[in-house]
Amino acid sequence: MTEPSIFVRDLTKTYHVPQRDPGLRASLRSLVRPSHLDVDAVRSVSFTIQPGEMVGFIGPNGAGKTTTLKMLSGLLFPTRGEAHVLGYVPWRRQAGYLRQISMVLGNKSQMLWDIPPLDTFRVLGEIYSVPPADFQRTLDELVALLEMEALLTRPVRNLSLGERMKCELVAGLLHHPRVLFLDEPTLGLDVSVQARLRRFLVEYNRRSGITVLLTSHYMADVAALCPRLLLIHQGALLYDGELNGLARRLAPFKLIRLSLGEGVDGPALPAGVETITREDGSLTLRVGRDAASAITAQLLNTLPVLDLTVEDPPLEAVIDQIYQEGTL
Amino acid sequence: MNPRGGWALIQSTWLSWLQYRSFFFLLAFMWMIPPLIYLLVWSTAAGGQTVGGLSRGEFVAYYLTLILVNQLTYAQTNWTVGDLIREGRMNTLLLRPLAPLYDTLASELAGKIVYMIFIIPAVALLALLLKPEWHATWGTGLLFVPTLLLAWALRFFWGYWLALLAFWSTRADGLLALQDALIFLLAGMVAPVALLPGPMQSAAILLPFRYMIGFPVEVLTGQLSAGELWLGFAAQVVWLLVALTLSAAVWRGGIRRYAAIGG
Repeated sequence: MTEPSIFVRDLTKTYHVPQRDPGLRASLRSLVRPSHLDVDAVRSVSFTIQPGEMVGFIGPNGAGKTTTLKMLSGLLFPTRGEAHVLGYVPWRRQAGYLRQISMVLGNKSQMLWDIPPLDTFRVLGEIYSVPPADFQRTLDELVALLEMEALLTRPVRNLSLGERMKCELVAGLLHHPRVLFLDEPTLGLDVSVQARLRRFLVEYNRRSGITVLLTSHYMADVAALCPRLLLIHQGALLYDGELNGLARRLAPFKLIRLSLGEGVDGPALPAGVETITREDGSLTLRVGRDAASAITAQLLNTLPVLDLTVEDPPLEAVIDQIYQEGTL
Repeated sequence: MNPRGGWALIQSTWLSWLQYRSFFFLLAFMWMIPPLIYLLVWSTAAGGQTVGGLSRGEFVAYYLTLILVNQLTYAQTNWTVGDLIREGRMNTLLLRPLAPLYDTLASELAGKIVYMIFIIPAVALLALLLKPEWHATWGTGLLFVPTLLLAWALRFFWGYWLALLAFWSTRADGLLALQDALIFLLAGMVAPVALLPGPMQSAAILLPFRYMIGFPVEVLTGQLSAGELWLGFAAQVVWLLVALTLSAAVWRGGIRRYAAIGG
């Protein structure tokens, strides 16, 4: 068994934040005696990620995703717990560690704004001591994969959001990191750029064997990229496993959409079927996951069916249910 | 330490800034104005005689040198380090295997090059018009170089530790403004230190500010005895060590706090 890329045990971060009531009197009082509140951003989170895995890290806003990523990339000290990434303790911030990781933030840029991306890439190549020949080869490969030759010589401030995100990815990967932390890489991007970036990440992961921990609010990102999912809510890890497993656990049913011929009114339905919508000849039914195939066969035999599809409930609805209820 | 990385940073910062050269020329022009006013005040006051032992032409030489030294030692990055911390851009720098100080030093050096493109012709033109009396010799010229470098390092690191207080307070800029006011009064800007009234002169000689600007100017214009020169040199070194120690301590404490509360 190989050593895991990322090992996290009981990782906890408690912020000590100042608080005060509104109003002048409260503000004067807080000058003399400031009061503080302990906020648990991350509570006893444990997980292990193997080399080459792509893991989705999801949860509602404020759940502790970014705090966890910041601890793993060495920007934050934890309050408690331990973490080893590539054998290093991240918050010691050793150069040997920083050279092997990369963190790409969808809402923060490391590109120099006023000059073409190529200049920023060259600086990063030097900072990470990438040998010139290696640098050029990596750059050519990344640029070809992302189809961005035309962007290299234009000032970054003249690029669109999607184009800038491509640059961020190149900037983050030039030094061949072994672990990549991606914080909402598709934030604010249009559907086709999102799809392009996803294809790129899958292909890059396949070629380089990079370990990726990715946060996103777009379930499509996670569904397309990550066979495995970590779900965090109010600082605690609620789920660690396959995406499909999550859907099965939460929504143990399937949806059957039926189109019936004209003049079929109020058809007799088998037992264990719940009608969700009904208009004209179209029906949406909810059935238990295990009974789905039997019921489908029965429907096809007994009713004049024009069209029939069996679907999983939409992922967004499943996730929303967890975010709202806070439990699995 | 990674010299190639540092050099690449300087080049890229320089490229960025050349995009805005007119803005930086304007800044350089602005910083030139106060010493230029005092140049005119003192050279007019001296008229055909001397004030405090300096003639009109000597005042011109003093202030033209001061304009150059002021530009070369002005640490404009002291004002931007706080922004890095407040706006969370420090995160990006902390993720790199190169201390964020190098990024700041790169901006500093890149800035000097851009300002000099403007300031050297400007001072040369003023020298043609105002006819300074230089007493610079090879000796003072040789001594000037290390005192200028020390002056820059002192001014930079003195401002740096103040700027790093932004880790604790969002309004650390106030201390930088105070430092600029003290420099204006005590560093030889409003008047050469030799002309300051008693208590102010003692303060100027004790505090670090004169060693950031006035001292190298006095060295080059040949105003100092050998004893004064060595004392000044020693003061520069001591104050620089203090500034370096404070910078290192504030950085360590600041990073610990930053890592505790998040950017």
